[in-house]
Amino acid sequence: MDTLTPGLKTALRTIWVLTAHSLRSRYRSLIIWGVALGGLGALYVALYPAMSNLLQQYLEQAPENMQRFMGGVQGNITIQQWLEIEFLNVLVPVALPFLIVTLGARTIAGSEERKTLDLLLSNPFPRWQIIAGALATMGISLAAVLAMTWIFTYAAVPIAGVDLGPGVLASALAALWPFCLLFGALALLLSAFVRRNVFAITIPAVILVATYVINSLAQATESMRPLRFVSLLYYIGHPIQGDFPWIAVLAVLAGTLALFVLAMGAFAKRDVFT
Amino acid sequence: MQPAILTEKLTKAYGPRLGIDSLDLEVRPGEVLGFIGPNGAGKTTTIRVLLDLLHATSGRAFVMGRDVRRESVAVRRLVGYLPGEFGLDPRMTGRELVRYLARLRSLNELNYADEIAQRLGLDLDLPMGRLSRGNRQKIGLVQALYHRPPLLILDEPTTGLDPLVQDSFLQIVREARGEGRTVFLSSHFLSEVERVCDRVAIVRAGRLAAMETTESLLEKRRKRIMMIFSTPVDAALFAQLPGVSDVVPFGNSISLRLSDGIDGVVKLAAQHTLLDLSIEHPSLDEVFMSYYGQEQPWTP
Repeated sequence: MDTLTPGLKTALRTIWVLTAHSLRSRYRSLIIWGVALGGLGALYVALYPAMSNLLQQYLEQAPENMQRFMGGVQGNITIQQWLEIEFLNVLVPVALPFLIVTLGARTIAGSEERKTLDLLLSNPFPRWQIIAGALATMGISLAAVLAMTWIFTYAAVPIAGVDLGPGVLASALAALWPFCLLFGALALLLSAFVRRNVFAITIPAVILVATYVINSLAQATESMRPLRFVSLLYYIGHPIQGDFPWIAVLAVLAGTLALFVLAMGAFAKRDVFT
Repeated sequence: MQPAILTEKLTKAYGPRLGIDSLDLEVRPGEVLGFIGPNGAGKTTTIRVLLDLLHATSGRAFVMGRDVRRESVAVRRLVGYLPGEFGLDPRMTGRELVRYLARLRSLNELNYADEIAQRLGLDLDLPMGRLSRGNRQKIGLVQALYHRPPLLILDEPTTGLDPLVQDSFLQIVREARGEGRTVFLSSHFLSEVERVCDRVAIVRAGRLAAMETTESLLEKRRKRIMMIFSTPVDAALFAQLPGVSDVVPFGNSISLRLSDGIDGVVKLAAQHTLLDLSIEHPSLDEVFMSYYGQEQPWTP
């Protein structure tokens, strides 16, 4: 910190104050999300020994479309494949962005609607620091929920007696972090532009659901297969099987950064109303 | 000494409508300036442009020599602001809010916040969701005042406060002036402006209609004089005096309005046996109405 300029130190301090305040006011909801997703993860792990044979038999007899929909799994279903089918490819990446989208939307449009933005903006810091604080809040919140999800899910591994390393589970959950953050950054940008909380939540939510639907249809239907490239979920790949999507993660982070910069610009230029 | 607030042809358009229109305003350091006008006159728009919450369409504004747009952070460091409308996190206490805002100003000292809260009769340790409207307004006042800013910008500060608390608040404003700080006070309540402001700016349809000391504005008002004589007196004699109007005789009494000096009236009255003489000063509302006429509604 000693090598930083006084202006940068002040900026980092303000961003931290904003972030800490947001986290403090939302810690209960983060714990609920972490416990809920972690509990589901633990349930999936616990069910694996009982379900793996049944699911294998089902998939062997299932139509080809359904097999593809379930990720094209064949032969013995591993714990990694079992977790991927629903928990890691559907539940977490579809549910968790909603938490972050809400956070992003509340930052500006939500605060404006609740008339809390005036008191905040009458303090001596530039507007971009609110956006930076929001991004930091979203990033830390996501990391906290994913970490809790990892802890609870992994806690069930020795109980269920399955072979799942802590690293691959962490890697699979970590790959979802930038993906979820991207939707938060989109909500933040919309929040800076549209002034209506409902739009800042609805638009990313619709895109998220569309992403899931397109990905599922592309998996299940041969004619829709080319569309899979449109879905962000496609690019997450199979990190739990040791195939961490570095390029996709970097690309998504770059996209998040671009949305973040656009949000800063939009918020700096616009009027704030009561 | 540079003005505490200076606006030059400041204009803010909301689409085709002008919120403020070429507003020229100068607030001197150390004064309490009342900024009055009816709803939609441009008071809140002016304040929000000064705080850089709204961006001016044209013109310029300075707070203590700093451009409100280009040096908005420095401006906000100098300003304590009470918005006309504001929301509070219902789960936080007033103390938590003030502490949070203090951290954003890199301040740790909250003694003055406690002192103001005590004087206003506010419990800072209650969740703000449980506070009445008046107490929420007190929270707004505390957060504007606690850091002793050199300039206070207060938009309708006494809204929702009971008369006793209004008195306490006005005393705090007087003390702020006594400490050399400047107060820019937008208000609907002309009585409070009359009680605390050094000067008054009257804004009308986004433009400055008048800017005078409260004293000179009040001097301009037409006094109503009531005289009671021992016997009936010819009212026409009074009606001929300069500045006299609305002469109404009834019995031994004469009532009249006077816009000039009182000397002629007193000398004429002294020629008769005068039993009683009273001078009634109209409120600032009436003075205000003389600027607004009957064209715009006024909501006191």
